[in-house]
Amino acid sequence: MRLDLAAKELTLKLVYYGPALSGKTSNLRAIHRLASSEACGQLMTLAMKNERTLFFDMLPIAIAVGDGFRVRLKLFSVPGQLMHEATRRLVLQAADGIAFIADSRRSEASTNRESFLRLHRNLRHNGVDPARMPMVVQFNKRDLEDIRSDEELETIGARSHEPIYKAVATRGHGVMQTLHGLIRKTWLKLETDQHLEDRVGINASRSMRAIESMLGNRPEWQAP
Amino acid sequence: MTQDDANAADIVMGDVVRLEDVLSRDSAASLCKSFFALFGLPVRVLSQEGDLLAEAHRDRPLCSYLNTLADGRHRCSQTLGEAHSVQPDSGSIVHPCFSGAVYRIVPLFHQRRPIGRFIVGPYVPIEAPSAPESLGSVESIDTGAARAHFSDMPRAREDIAEQICAHLGEVLEILVFFGHRAQLASAMQLASVRESYRELAEKSEALTESHEELKQVDKLKSTFLATVSHELRSPLTSIIGYTEMLQSGAAGALSEEQSEILKTVHGKADELLGLISSLLDLGQLESRTLDLRHEAVDPRALLSGVGSTVVPSANRRNIALDIRVSAGTPKIWGDAIRLRQIMLNLADNAIKFTHEGGQVELGAAPAQLEPGDPSGVGSGLFTANRPAVVLLVRDTGMGIAEDKLSRIFEAFYQVDGGTTRAHGGAGLGLSIVKQLVDAHGGTIEVTSKPGEGTLFTVTLPAANPDA
Repeated sequence: MRLDLAAKELTLKLVYYGPALSGKTSNLRAIHRLASSEACGQLMTLAMKNERTLFFDMLPIAIAVGDGFRVRLKLFSVPGQLMHEATRRLVLQAADGIAFIADSRRSEASTNRESFLRLHRNLRHNGVDPARMPMVVQFNKRDLEDIRSDEELETIGARSHEPIYKAVATRGHGVMQTLHGLIRKTWLKLETDQHLEDRVGINASRSMRAIESMLGNRPEWQAP
Repeated sequence: MTQDDANAADIVMGDVVRLEDVLSRDSAASLCKSFFALFGLPVRVLSQEGDLLAEAHRDRPLCSYLNTLADGRHRCSQTLGEAHSVQPDSGSIVHPCFSGAVYRIVPLFHQRRPIGRFIVGPYVPIEAPSAPESLGSVESIDTGAARAHFSDMPRAREDIAEQICAHLGEVLEILVFFGHRAQLASAMQLASVRESYRELAEKSEALTESHEELKQVDKLKSTFLATVSHELRSPLTSIIGYTEMLQSGAAGALSEEQSEILKTVHGKADELLGLISSLLDLGQLESRTLDLRHEAVDPRALLSGVGSTVVPSANRRNIALDIRVSAGTPKIWGDAIRLRQIMLNLADNAIKFTHEGGQVELGAAPAQLEPGDPSGVGSGLFTANRPAVVLLVRDTGMGIAEDKLSRIFEAFYQVDGGTTRAHGGAGLGLSIVKQLVDAHGGTIEVTSKPGEGTLFTVTLPAANPDA
C-alpha cells in the first residue's frame, strides 16, 4: 500500500498467484477487456515467445473515489513455472492482497496444493504472515472435463479461510467477482490496520461502490 | 529513503520513476525529426521538470530577425520561458507569442500520471489573418521586413494541429510504455539474478558445512578402521599360528577329518587376514601415511611373478594366460611389493570373472604420462610428458555395464551382489588398486563391453634409465 496524501492517491498492489498455466494472465486479460477503459491502463506483459510469463504481467487501474481521492490498483501476475521461484518472491513483495488461481481439474489438485504451500513459504520468506494476508481463491477452467464438482468446492469453501470463486477466465466468467472479492478483503484489512476513513477521510463503502461501478459487474459463472 | 530505495519501491509497484529514464532519447529524437520533416512544425520534448529531452526545429527568418533586436530578443526569451514552464493538467494548451505565432503545449501521461510534455511551435494558425500589432510594437523593428518574414512562418489549421499533436502524444506514450516495460524487465532480471545468487550462496554455504562435517566423519571412519584392523590382526595371527601348530602335529596325530577341518579354519583365517590387511592398507592410503619404497622395477619380472601366482587358478578353469612385454619397455619407478599387489589384484579379478575356456592377457609397453589433469586438458601448456610404462590386464570375461564403470573404484562398491556372493570379496580390491596407482603418481583407466570383456590400463612413471 502506498498513500500519497499530496497527490491524494492510494495505490494497492494485488497479486495473482498460482501454478503454471492455471490462468493468471487470462484473468488479467479478461479484466482488461471487461473493465471500463476509463479506469484501465495498458496491460503490460513480460512474456517469452511461447506466451509463458517471464517476469510478470501488470495491469494498472485508476479510479476516482470521491473527495478528490484516486485509488490506483496495480494488478500483477507471477510467472507460474517452477524455475521462477526467485521472481515470484520479488513480485510478491509489498503485495496488499492475493488471488490464488487454481486449476479445477482433479489431475491438478497436487500441483495446486504444492503452489499454495510455496506461496505460504514465499510470504514467510518475505517476512509476511500468510494468515494475515488478504486472500481469495479462484477455481478456474470450470468449462473443462473431470473437474472438481460444485458440491466439492462448496465443501472446500465451507472450511476454507479464503472465499472461493469459480471462473472460466478465457471467457471472462467469474473474473470480476474474484477481483471484487479480493478488493473487498484487501480494503477491509487496510481499514482495520490503517483506519483510512479516520486518518485520511477515504470512505470505505463509497470507495467500494465507486470501484465496483467503474470495474463493472459481470454475471458469475454458472455451470451449464 | 535513498534514490535506490525509491527506485526499488517503484519497481516493486511497477511505477515509472522519470520520463528521462524510460524514453529512449534516440527514438524521441528520430520521432521529432520525422515529425518536423512531415509537418514542418518545430517540436520539443520536455521532462516533468522542464529538461529538454529531444527536439527538431529550424530557425525561422522572423525569429532570427527578432533576435537581432534587443527588445525582440528579450521578448522571445520571455515567451519561450513561459511556454517551457507551462504544465497542462489534462489537455493541450495554446500559448501565444507576441509575434502572432503560437506554441501548443501537450502533456504526456503514463499510467494516468503526468510524466512530461511536448511543445509544438512556433507556428502561425491559418486562421490568423496577418501580423499582429504586438509585432510592430518591438522597439527599432522594421515593420516591412517583419511582415515579410511573418508570411514565411509555418502555418497550420488549429483543428489539424490539435489532431497532429494528439497523434504525436499517442506515439510518445507508446514509446514510454515500451521503455517502461524494458526498464522493468531489466530491473526485474537483475533483482531475480541477485535473489537466485543469494539463494545459491546460502545453499552452497550449507553444503560446504555439510561437506566439512562429512570429511570429519570420514576421517573418524579411517581412524576407526585402522585401529580395529590392527586390534583384529594380533589375535588372528595367533589363531593362524596355533592352527599351523595343530596341523604340524605338535599336539598329537590328527585324523583325516580333523586335518580337513583345520585346513578350512586355516583357509578362512587367511581370508580374514587378507581382508584386515586390505582395510589397513585402505586406512593408510586414505590418510596418506602409506610408505612407498621406490625403486626401478622390471616389468617383465613383475608380470612373470604375478603370472606364476595366478596360473594355477587359471589352469583350474582352463583359462589361457598370456604375458606380453613389448620391446623397449623401460623399468617402472615404484614400490615392487605394491606394484605386485596392484597387478595381482587385477589379474586375480580378471581370472575370477572370466568364463572357463576364456583368455587373460597381462601386458607391458612403453608410454607417456601426461602431467596434471587426468583428462590431459591443457597439460601441454605446462610440462612435457614423462616417459612411462603402461601395464595392461585384458580379459574375455563378463564385462562391466557402462553405468557401473565410474563407481568400480569406490571402496565397498560391488557391481553386482550376485557376483560378489559367487566370487567373494569385500569390494575393497579395486579401491586399493586405484589409491596405490594414485600414490605412485600414475593413472588407471578401464574400458569394458558386457559379454565381451574388460581392459584395465595402468600407466606408471618410468624409472630413470640410469637407475
